[in-house]
Amino acid sequence: MIGIFCEKYFVMILTAAIGTIGYCLNVNIKRNKIVYGCVGGVVSTFLYCVCVEAQLSLLMQNLIPATVVTLYAEVLARIVKAPATVFLIPSIIPLVPGGRLYYTMRAIVDANVSDAKIYAMETLVIALGIAVGIVVISLMFYHISHKNIQYKVRFDQVEINAQKEAEDSSCAQKNLHG
Amino acid sequence: MDIETTCGTPVQVMECALDMGETMLRCGAEILRVEDTITRICTAYGGGIVDVFTILSLIILSWKTDAGENHTLTRRINPHATDLNKLEDLNALSRYICEKKPPCSEIQQKICAIMAPEERRIYKSKMTGYVLLASAFTLFFGGNLWDSLAAGIVAVLMYLWDYCFASHGRNRVVYSLVIAVVAGILCCISVLIGIGQNIDKVMIGSIMLMIPGINLMNALRDMMCGDIITGILRLAEALMMAIAIAVGFGIAIMLFGGLLR
Repeated sequence: MIGIFCEKYFVMILTAAIGTIGYCLNVNIKRNKIVYGCVGGVVSTFLYCVCVEAQLSLLMQNLIPATVVTLYAEVLARIVKAPATVFLIPSIIPLVPGGRLYYTMRAIVDANVSDAKIYAMETLVIALGIAVGIVVISLMFYHISHKNIQYKVRFDQVEINAQKEAEDSSCAQKNLHG
Repeated sequence: MDIETTCGTPVQVMECALDMGETMLRCGAEILRVEDTITRICTAYGGGIVDVFTILSLIILSWKTDAGENHTLTRRINPHATDLNKLEDLNALSRYICEKKPPCSEIQQKICAIMAPEERRIYKSKMTGYVLLASAFTLFFGGNLWDSLAAGIVAVLMYLWDYCFASHGRNRVVYSLVIAVVAGILCCISVLIGIGQNIDKVMIGSIMLMIPGINLMNALRDMMCGDIITGILRLAEALMMAIAIAVGFGIAIMLFGGLLR
């Protein structure tokens, strides 16, 4: 079982790792952080392959890897002290529906409406899966890290000042009258 | 007032903060990060009340210092290529500023050192990145080794095209349309010559080079942090780029499609 799995998906995982390194070089990530991006790419591809093998739906095939990888990137960002984007973008790249985009366009050029519809829907579903995965985890981390954010205190001060002024003026009036 | 004696006038501090914000935004940071950095720097240098409003092309910063002076500066941001290396450096610099509070001239020197324009030459690492990305993803989507070789050659030529014609004009959508047409024609030619065997796999490899991944990611993160305006701007740009890429490859297929059947 595991042997068959490895044989079937070995090329995919290997090429995903190499392609991720290429992407890291392309967007000019620091050399000592390419490894993290590469590991993220391998993890996301591996999970994608597992989900395909488990015959989950197209949405889940992309949602689960995106969720796990976003968790990985956010945790790593807090350990290594770098923006999460640096780890997240290379890790997501193997999931991006480049192939579906091409086949959609090809079907449109060939005037094959039914195929174009199917491929366009699949592209959208994949994009949606990735987006939901990223958003859920990022939102969690956003609320954790910004729990005690301090907003401005301007209006409290204004109120206090107004009260003081009112008291002062009333005192002054009393003094005047007195 | 002690700001003036130690670091510079409030306006100088604000200019430093705006420099930081502008450079971070141009390198591809999220809006939340930019606003947070500017607020932290201004607060670190003298308290008071800081108001920042940032969208993709504009930063407005208004600061009421403890002494009661009001200052407002705005800055227009021109589009720039994403560079995560510089973003990381800037992030580290902003931590350093808030901790040590160096004088403004030092901050400006450091920003200049980070943002110094790169020497205009052919970067081997970047070219390797292009080749690895294109050929690996050709194999990833099921091509054979010949396809991957063809995609690698196309990637080198695309890098050279990028090197010659990038940074002309600021409309990235039109630019990606043009480069998609060029890449599509190169893919078709590589298959016509006989290097690649499956035109679709070679083309998918080249498409992966141009996918606006960072824009999409930032759009999502911005929207979810509450910066809906910028999120929509970025999403619109990313979608338009994706459509431009598809249309560009479509034009190339229409030009050469008859020869390939």
